[in-house]
Parts: sequence; C-alpha cells; structure tokens
Amino acid sequence: MHSCKPIRKILALLVFLLLLTQSTSTFAAFAVPDVAATDAAGVEKVKSGMTLFKANCTACHALDRKVVGPALAGVWEKWESEEKFVHWVQNPAKLIASGDAYANKIFNENNKVMMTAFPTLSADQIKDILLYLKNPAAAEPAKAPAADATASSSSGAATGDKGSSNWYVWILAAFLAVLALLLWSVTSKLDKAVKEKAGEKVEDESLTKKLFSNKTLKVLLLIGSILLVFNIFNGAIDLGRSQGYAPDQPIKFSHALHVGQNQIECQYCHTGVEKSRHASIPGTQICMNCHKYVQQGPKFGKDEIAKIYDYSGWDPDKGKFVKAPKNIEWVKIHNLPDHVYFNHSQHVKVGGIDCKTCHGKVEEYEVMKQFAPLSMGWCINCHRQTEVKFADNNYYSIFQKYKAELKKGTKAKVTVADIGGTECQKCHY
Amino acid sequence: MSNKKYWTSLDELNNTPQYQESAAVEFKDATENDIAEEQSQGGTNRRDFLKVMGFSVSAAALASACKIPTHKAIPYTIDLRKQVPEVVPGVADYFASSFTDGTDFVNILVKTREGRPIKIEPNNDSPLGGTTAHSEASVLSLYDTTRLATPTQKNKKADWKSVDADVTQKLNAIAASGGKIAIVTGTITSVVTKKAIEKFVAKYPSTTVVAYDAVSNYATRKANQISVGAAIIPTIHFDKAEVIVGFNSDFIGTGISALSNVKKYIANRVPSKENPKMSRHHQFQSNVTITGSNADYKYPIKPSEEKQALINLYAEIGGSISGVKTLSGKDANDGIKKVAKELLAAKGKSVVISDTNDVDVQLLVNAINATLGNYGTVIDTANTSNLKAGNDEALAALANDLKAGAYKGIIFLNANPVYNTPYADIFKEAIKKAELSISTADRPDETAQFCTYVCPDNNYLESWDIISPVTGFYGFVQPAISPLFDTRQTAATLLTWAGDTTPIAEVVQAEVATITGANYRAAVQAGFYGSIGLAGGASANAASAIAALSTATASAANGLEVVFYEKSGVGDGSFANNPFLQEMPDPITKVTWDNYVCVPYSFAKEKGIDAQPAEKNVPIAKVTINGKTLELPVVVQFGQAQNTLAIAVGYGREKAGPAGDAVGKNVYTLLKAVNGVTSFSTSGATFELTGKEYQLGLNQTYHTLMEDNSLPMREKRYRGSIVKETTLSDYAKNEKSGNEDREHIKEHFSHSLYDGYKPNDYKQGHHWGMVVDLNACIGCGACVVACSIENNVPVVGRRQVYRSQEMHWLRIDRYYSGNPDNPDVAFQPMMCQHCNNAPCENVCPVNATNHSSDGLNQMAYNRCIGTRYCANNCPYKVRRFNWLDYQGVDSFGTFNDGKMSFTDTQAQSYMFEDLTRMVLNPDVVTRSRGVIEKCSFCIQRIQEGKLTAKKEGRPVKDGDIKSACQTACSTNAIIFGDQNDKESVVAKTFDTSGRNYFVLEEQHFLPAVGYQVKVRNKDEQPAEFFIDKPEKA
Repeated sequence: MHSCKPIRKILALLVFLLLLTQSTSTFAAFAVPDVAATDAAGVEKVKSGMTLFKANCTACHALDRKVVGPALAGVWEKWESEEKFVHWVQNPAKLIASGDAYANKIFNENNKVMMTAFPTLSADQIKDILLYLKNPAAAEPAKAPAADATASSSSGAATGDKGSSNWYVWILAAFLAVLALLLWSVTSKLDKAVKEKAGEKVEDESLTKKLFSNKTLKVLLLIGSILLVFNIFNGAIDLGRSQGYAPDQPIKFSHALHVGQNQIECQYCHTGVEKSRHASIPGTQICMNCHKYVQQGPKFGKDEIAKIYDYSGWDPDKGKFVKAPKNIEWVKIHNLPDHVYFNHSQHVKVGGIDCKTCHGKVEEYEVMKQFAPLSMGWCINCHRQTEVKFADNNYYSIFQKYKAELKKGTKAKVTVADIGGTECQKCHY
Repeated sequence: MSNKKYWTSLDELNNTPQYQESAAVEFKDATENDIAEEQSQGGTNRRDFLKVMGFSVSAAALASACKIPTHKAIPYTIDLRKQVPEVVPGVADYFASSFTDGTDFVNILVKTREGRPIKIEPNNDSPLGGTTAHSEASVLSLYDTTRLATPTQKNKKADWKSVDADVTQKLNAIAASGGKIAIVTGTITSVVTKKAIEKFVAKYPSTTVVAYDAVSNYATRKANQISVGAAIIPTIHFDKAEVIVGFNSDFIGTGISALSNVKKYIANRVPSKENPKMSRHHQFQSNVTITGSNADYKYPIKPSEEKQALINLYAEIGGSISGVKTLSGKDANDGIKKVAKELLAAKGKSVVISDTNDVDVQLLVNAINATLGNYGTVIDTANTSNLKAGNDEALAALANDLKAGAYKGIIFLNANPVYNTPYADIFKEAIKKAELSISTADRPDETAQFCTYVCPDNNYLESWDIISPVTGFYGFVQPAISPLFDTRQTAATLLTWAGDTTPIAEVVQAEVATITGANYRAAVQAGFYGSIGLAGGASANAASAIAALSTATASAANGLEVVFYEKSGVGDGSFANNPFLQEMPDPITKVTWDNYVCVPYSFAKEKGIDAQPAEKNVPIAKVTINGKTLELPVVVQFGQAQNTLAIAVGYGREKAGPAGDAVGKNVYTLLKAVNGVTSFSTSGATFELTGKEYQLGLNQTYHTLMEDNSLPMREKRYRGSIVKETTLSDYAKNEKSGNEDREHIKEHFSHSLYDGYKPNDYKQGHHWGMVVDLNACIGCGACVVACSIENNVPVVGRRQVYRSQEMHWLRIDRYYSGNPDNPDVAFQPMMCQHCNNAPCENVCPVNATNHSSDGLNQMAYNRCIGTRYCANNCPYKVRRFNWLDYQGVDSFGTFNDGKMSFTDTQAQSYMFEDLTRMVLNPDVVTRSRGVIEKCSFCIQRIQEGKLTAKKEGRPVKDGDIKSACQTACSTNAIIFGDQNDKESVVAKTFDTSGRNYFVLEEQHFLPAVGYQVKVRNKDEQPAEFFIDKPEKA
C-alpha cells in the first residue's frame, strides 16, 4: 500500500498530463485549408491576405520567428477556434478580460504587452491572412524572379554597367590596334615593293625604328593628350558625386536585419515617403515601438540597442522614458545639391516607383549606401523612359491631345518627359 | 483711346537728357566715383577679385577632389512623454492666429515648416481675414537678432526668478509707502492684457494706467464723446456708401482698421459689364496718400484750411454755421460745391471721414454726417473700434506729473515714449529719477535702455492671446512656435507680479471658452469669434457738435505749413528694424530706406529744384520747424498742397537694431499738443537748400517699360499701351472703352512674315496665366512683401537701391497723369509676364531661361552664367541680377564680410545670421552671386498644387493654386489660374472681359498676365492734359 502511493501519484499525474495534452491537441486547433497554385480564387485570397499581413502585421510579427509578437506560422494549431482568433485580432483586450485561458497565456508570455487591436479588419480579411500564413508560397507569383531580373537589368542599363562595357571596349580596341598594325605593315611592304619595282632604292626600316619615328611619337602624344583631357573631364563631372558612399553611422543600424530578415516595410520607419518631399529618417520614437521589447540584436548584442535607449531617454530597467530624447546625428548619405527639388511622395505615391529603383537592394545592405549616382543625367534618363499612370490618374485627363493619340495608336505611351518632366523648373526653383 | 501722357518722376515729366539716358540703359554703370569710394571703404577691386576667384576655384577643386563634405541628417525626434501634435517633416502646417499693430487688425494663418513660422497667410474664413505689408513682414521680426534673450537688470543679463523677486519687493515697498506707479502703454486690444492690468491695479491700487498712440486719433474719440455721447471710433461700412469724401484720411492706407475698410471699399470700386457701377470717392488732401491716390477727384488743401473747408461744406449742405470763407485753391472751392451736391443726392448713402487729430475737424465731420443721415446706414456707432484708444490728454498730464517727480515706479508695456512722443526728455529724466523703472520691450530700445529692468515680451507668434479689435469680435492668438528665447508674455509678467502664477495658456484657454461658450480648441482653430454686421447705433448730434466748436479762429498760417504723416512701410516706427518694410518702396514716392521732406511741384519750380541733377541725387534742405532744424533730402511730390511740406514719422530710430538705426530723422520731437490733442501739422516752417546732395534709394525712375514713341501711330501716345484707363460713364456705354485699339492689334497678329509659322499653342495640359485688375489694386504693397518672403528675395539696402540693384520680383509701378499740381495716379503691379514669345529667352547664350510646356518662362539659376542679356532684352524690366552674395550661399565666404550696415556701401548680410535664416522658405533655393532671378509665378506653389491633385487623382481646380501675391491681396487685384481651364477666372476674363488687355500687346510678346483697364468714376476726362485733344466720336 505504502509503496503504491507514489506510483499512484505518478499515475494520476500521467493521466492528468495525458488529459491535458489531449485537451490541447483535440480542442486547441482549427483547420486552415491548403491552397494549390492552380486554384485561382484561392491564390487571390492568399494574395489579399499577404497585402493585409504586410500592411498591418509585419510591424510586430513574422512568419517564422518572434519579432515583437510571436511567430505566426502554425498559429491555427494554438487557437481553439477560428472565431476566437478573429475575436482576438479584432479586440484582444476584451478577450483577455473575458478570462480566456489561451489569450491570457500569450498575454503573459509576451511581457503583458497588449497587442494592437484591429477592429477594422473583418472576419473574412482575417481568414485571408490565415490563408496566407498557411500558404505563403502561393502568394509568390511564379514569374517573380524574372520580374526581379528585368528590374535589376533595367536599373543596370540606367546606371550604365561600367565593368562589363569597359572590358568589351578594351578587347575591341586591342583587336583594332592589332589590325591597324597588320594593315600598316602590309601597306608599307607593298609600298616598298612598288617602289623597288620602279627602281627606287629604298632603305629598309626596322619596325622598332618606325615605331619610335617622329611621326609616331606625335600621333601617340596626340592620343595621349586626348585621353588625358577625356579623363580630367570625366573626373570633373564626378566631382561631388558619391555613388556607393557608405559612411560609418553613429549606430550600426543594419537594413539587412530589419528589412531583409525581419521584413519590416520601408514605410514603417520612413513615414513621410507618401506624404512629403522627405521620406524622413525615423526619430527614436519609431525605433522604440519595437525596441522597448527587442532588447538584443543578433550581431552586436545589447551594445547598439543600448545607444537607442540613451538617445531616446528610455530606461530599460524601469521600462519607461526618463529623459528628454536626443537627436541621432546620422551621416547624410543622399546629398542633392540645394538647387534641386526632389519630392518622394511625387515618385512613390503618384509615380508608384519602387524604393529599390533608386535605393537598390536595401534588404541586403549591412551598411546603408548610395546606390544611384543621383546625377542629372540619371534623373533625366528615367524621366524619359518612365511612363506616367495616364489612364489610372484622372489628373492627366487635361492632356487631351495625348489621349486622342493614344486612342488612335499614334502614340504608344506617355512618359514623364512628355508632360514636361525634363523641363528646368520641374526640379530647379 | 486714351492718349494721356503718363510720367513717373520729375525728370521724366521734364524729359531731361539725364532721364533719357537712364531710361535707355538697363544697368547703371558704376561711376568713377563709386569705384573710388568703394576702394576707400576697403571694397574689392578687380585684381583682388581675380586673385580670390583663382584661389577659390582651385581650392574648391582640391577640396572636392579630396573628400566629400559630411552632412548630417537629423531626424524629427518626438519626446514621447509629452503630447505633441503630429508633424510630417516637409509638409507645412497652418495655425490660425491674429495680428495687430494697434492701428490695424487681421486674422491670419501662420505657415510653419518643421515647427518654424515662415510665412503669414490670410485667414479667409474671417471677415477680418487678410494680410497687410506689416503682417506679412512680421514673421521676420520673430527672428530679429536684436531681441533680448533674457530679462536684464541694469542692461546686464538676469534671470526671471531674481527679477520677479526684486520687482515684487520694490512694488510692495512703493505701494506700502503710498507711492504712485505709472503703467505707460500703447493701445491695448488684448482682452488678456487688460485683465492682467486690472489684477495688477487691484494688487497695487496706487497705479495709474496711461495709454497713448504714437500716431494718435484721440480727437475722433473726443469729438464723439461730445456729439455721440461716447468716446468711440465708429465702424464705417464703405460698401454701403455711394459717395465717399475723405479729408486727410488715409482710411485704406495707414488709417484705423484699414484692412476692414479696404475690403468694404473695394466692393464698390470694381465695375463689371453686368454691374457698371462704382462708388465715387473725393479726397481733400494736404499730402498724397494711398487713399488719395485711389480717389476719383482730389483737391489739394493746406492743413490749416481743413477746418475751413469743412465749415464751407457744412454750410453748402444746408447746415447753419457762420464763418464761411473762400479757400485759397480754386480746385478746392469748386470741389466743395460739387461734393455738396453729390452728398445731398446720396443722403444716408455717403460718408465724410477725416483722420486729422483735431477735435474741431472731427466735430464738423460728425455734424455733416449727421445732417446727411449717414449714421445707422453707413456709420455704425454700435460696433465700435477698440483700436487707437490712446489718450493724448492723459499722456500730457502724465508728462506733467513726471516732471514734478510724482511717480516712484514706471512700467512701460511695449511703449517707447522716449522715441515716439514729444515728451522724450521728460521721460528720460523721470526714468532716471524713479525708484523702479521697467520696460517689457523685446529689445533695449530708446526707452528700455534707461530702465533698471527689461522684461522682454514674447513675439506674438510665441504667445497666447485674445484680441478684440471691434466690440463683439475676437481674434485668437496661439503660439506657432515655442519661445525662441527666455522671454515671457507681458500679460504673464504682470500677473506674476500681481501674485497670480497660473500659466498664461490656461488663462487664455479659460477666457476663450468663456467668450465663445464652446471648446477652446475649436475656437482657436477657427481663429476668431463673432461677426461685424451693420448694427446701426446712435447718430451724432449736429447741433451739439457745432456748438462745441472752438471759437478761437486759427491764427493766420504764416510761412510754410508742415504735415507729419505715417508711411505704410515702417508705420509709426515700431517696425523700423524690419528690413522687408524698410525696403518696401513707399506706394506714392517709391522711396525706400528714408524719410525726407516732400515738397509740392509748384514749390519745387519756385525753388528751382526741378533743375537739380537728375536721377537719384536729390538736394538736401534745411527745414526749421518750431525752432528745431533738420536736414532732410527733398522729394518732389505731385498733388501735394501748395506751400505745404510733408515729413514722415517713424524714422530716426537710435535703438531699433541694425536695420532701423540711423535711417532718416525723427520728427516725433517736433509734435505739439493743440487744445489737448497732439497735432500732426504745424505752420511757420522755413525751408532752405543746403547745396548738398543725397543719394536716395528711389525706385521707379529706372526699369522703365519700353515703348517706341517714334512710330507714326505712337507719337501722340505716351505709355498708352502700358496703362489704359477710361471713365465710368464711357465704360457703361462701351465695355471696351479705353481698350479700343485691341481689335486693331489682334488684327495685325493674323499676319505673319513667316509662312506657316505657328507659335506653340499650349493647348493641352496647363497654361498658367494671371489677371491683374488696375481698379482693384490700391497700391498698398502687401504683395511685394509677401513675394519677397515666399521666394527668399533678398533685401539689399539703401545704397544698392540707389544703384538700381534692388531685387524685388514684383514691383508696383506708379504713374501720374494730368495736371502736375494735382495729377491722377495709377498703380500697376508689374512682374514677369511669362511671355510666350519671350525676348529674354532667345538671347540667353546658355539656355538658362526657356519656356516650359505649361507656359512658364523658366529660370534655371544653376545654369545662368550672368551675361544679363536677358535683363537687357526684357521689355518689362522685371529681371534682377544678384550683384552680391546677399544670402551667404556662396561656398567660400562672402565679399561682404558682414561688416557693412544697410545704409552703407553694400547690403548688410542680415541673411547670414543663423537665426534670421530660419525665415527662409525651404522649398525655394537661395540664389548665389552672379545669376539672374525673377518672378516664377510661385512655381513651388504650382508644383505643390499639381502634386496634391495627382495624389487625389483629379485635375487641378481653379483656386487650388494661388501665388503669394494673390493670397496677400485683400482686394483680389491679382488672380492666378490656368488659361486652359475654361472654368477658371483667368480664362473667363481673358475670353470675355472687355477691360482685359496685355501690356505692350502690339509688340507680340504674348504675355500671360492680363491687365484690366482702369475705370475712374469721373464725369469726363479733363481735356487740357492730353498730349492731343481726345478724338470726339
């Protein structure tokens, strides 16, 4: 009897644990269907889910890892029903207050930080998000890599791929030089033959002698000076341009980590990009949205994040702001001259230009750098090639002549240059 | 067709050889004298310039080759512990606020960028919304480097805590011993300051409060006390008046509540095809004002004759009065009869108004208006003005008491009596003797410099306040920026000393809620509360007014008479340190940076002044007034009364700051009280030419519009295709009256020498254009200041203006026509006309100026190499060259060294100060030395308007885009818009208005600015002043 006691206790515990696991595995899960790539309607839903997810959730959540909130892949296995999950997203505070066990559990697990409520998201929209979470691959269009390739090649063309074209030019030049030399030796031999035939006595000049003759030197000198002037001229054009400029910054902020790994949208920090001429560099108030909770980074540990706390006046031990914030004096990378007016919202909001077009693959930059040359030729070139959203935006309805020409087919597209985008006072005032 | 002769200056009227020469060249060459002078003053000569240039270029090349200059990017950081409104860097925020200078009141919007105010715009929701030259320029006063950064004690830095402790202790000591305390202040329209003073007086009951105005209208209140029964200044509804008669009243210029008057006045001054009606405006004037220049009929009268003229008029309209006497001028005598007839025909729909600070004059005005029944219909004694509430008698009494040493404590609330009263010496002595002397001036001014404590006030853009300009109407002031310095609002200072330390924001917010009965946030967002309707009110009693007239006959005026007047630029002198206002050309004389003695044309002829050297070298005269002698430059003023001199107050500051000090001469010291009120005219002056010359910063004698008078058709017309005018009766008969030659010109355009040549038609997209109405333009100059602030146009200083190198993108040309003793005046705003066939464009060797597809004449500063060919070829003379680095934008220092003062050889580098640079518009680049600039039609506003439309996916609507000059204009004289938008005002006016014409249209420049023919409400054009008699139809 006595000896049985612990065994019974253990047994009872086992049964309880079994029941407990049973209960979680049986009740705490709901099904989210798979979507095949061929299911067009399903893919549409997944895509809308992706858009919603990126717009609303990525600030705090990722699929596969904890950001501010927990990873969301497999979230359907943790919640007991879809309704509860929807309820949670729409009003987490209410669900917690209702005493729901799992809601309280994750609330406690996440340092009692209340998730932002999304009362505007409908149940269907939340279901779309769930579909995307289950089938992230379905949202990626099959042609995506190709599109990327064209994007990068077009930007390559715009900036002028110096490396490859130089190589080609040098080979060609060498070939032409050899050819010229050959032709010259042939003609001189023929010339000599003709002159000998005519009975003239011709001095046999060696090739080296000819190469260092007065005439050749003069020609070489001329070519040399042309090259020198060309180089100086090119160098002068490059004065004040700083493509690839990647200075050290007061905080070792990594776009590769934030954008690449954590997939935070550009607009989350650069809030002005659709509203203002400045995309704007975020103040510490934006950093602290996440870094109140993310206190350690993968590369520099707590050191770099401690700098943000110092700048923002945050005391991580007390968990509140204790001082007035200081400005982080970032080193400015993209320096346009004062006489150039550039407006981000014009390009991003109206023109729909992707950030990458001018800033490159920021998601790979460990240290931020200037991707584009930011030269006037580069601007103008893009204005000549880029089509405006002529049909989509009613503003352009005042260009009746183009409208008629497009209709007739005499004009293929309306570019920025067509509506005056290369005129002086569009950028200089 | 008008074939009047127009002229701008004496030289032009006489057509001197010097004038012909100066009109023919665009740029005045530096004379040998100029160069020698410059070198003696340590200026740069050519050799030095080349040396410096060579060094700079190589240094620049080296520097840029070695390393990239590091710039910092500072994020917009928000303190999360505070509630901060959301700011999007790069997007402007607008805050409703109010501006007052004691004379005028306007409801404004303060445009801020990244938290700093950069521009004042009108609050068009308010009946008193608008901007004036003063309010537009006031944003620069915020960034005045002369402002005190801390309170001071004996002109040394102090802190508020110790100052408050000291002052309270001393006040208590004085009050305990029964000593008297004086608070000297200007007109207080602030409800909050008034309450603070009440609390202060309650705490220290031995306090006397004396309010005075530097330029006073006390007589108006005193006369109304007698004839209406209350010391009020009525509101005058000019829109209800068919006949307006001004007697030395500048009611749309520097008069009381001018903005409100302007808005009402202009309602009846712009005729249209549908409604060809105008009010008729007569003006009896001693010196020429904006108001006089806009009148249909003008009659010069000497200041001593004003009372007589009113007596005659009162008798003429049937009032019983003795003492009718003939006036000296024939025009004026005939005028009285004509005016009386018209007034009698418009009983109850007319108004007689005077600003003269003479109780008799005001009583007569009241009697005339009462007899005509204008009270209750045009003159509103129920809605009365709180502006100009100063009391001349109280000031005189105070001066008397101060002399006797009656006051132990004196507090100056932003008042500067040592500068702007005739009692300067008394105040100076009294301050020194007083136990406690305090000033709340924002700078150590003439008065504050002697005070023990200076407790600097906030700028109004840093303050909370409630201003009541008219009974029942409130304008709210909210801070658009935190105080830049350690200053404190005066009301808060007084409250602190009265023992009430409630933060001023809370005081004001509670008060706003009480006034509006609503949430203070909503009220402050609107910026105003109340309306200004016609409420009627009691009439003046003509009999009691006449009975109260002083019987003392004016002593026969001997010698020259003098009028002291206010200029619309610096006003009473409180704005003296605002370079924008100093450089704003006076609307009439077109002189910047100085006061001077205006003499009438007849006097000038008599003294041989018209034979003086041409251009801007004017003689200096010694003027003796009331025993004091001043040396002042002489300006000949057409239309000024005979034997009358006019000198502006507001100049000759000693402690205003670098821009205002030693500019002109102070004449406040020459004022005298007559029958208890300060008189702004006097007689018995003497005038003597010194033989010396003065280089005056005068505009308008150059930058003369081209007109080829040698052509056969042209010879009898002088500026006939620049200013066009007609009379109302002709206009009513023929909409195209005065504009008849347009058809002929258009006919010519159908022919071309070049077969198949077609100019660009700008038929799709935008084609920007502008309408300027010569009837609506009153010449006030608010647009000039607004343009300068919006577009970072530099101030250059008197010396540069003298050399015809001022930078204004927009100028207002003033033309005289008719009798030189009493001419008509026309104002014409002139800016880049954005010609489709622009002569400037095809002479540029580097294509720095060219045409855009939306019809703009573009100027690319970074492309310009400074040949100035374009400016030489511009027929409208609107291009400006940066002769110097005015804004400190050149990379390698400056040639100005920041040493010179404004009146010196070169412009002082006021824009080199970090503080002052905060006023710059970040959307417009500052131009460097050696490039041309000009009006861009506010391209930054066009681009912003287009962008907003694109973001909203709609076409641009008419009115979305307004140029800075348009927003500044309270009379809608300037309207910007798209000629291709057939619904726009511009397109409709161009297409349908018979008054529309283009300046120098026959030259086929195809300008984009259409002017509207000026219509004068005259019976007929007096024939004798035409070059040729008008052709009778």
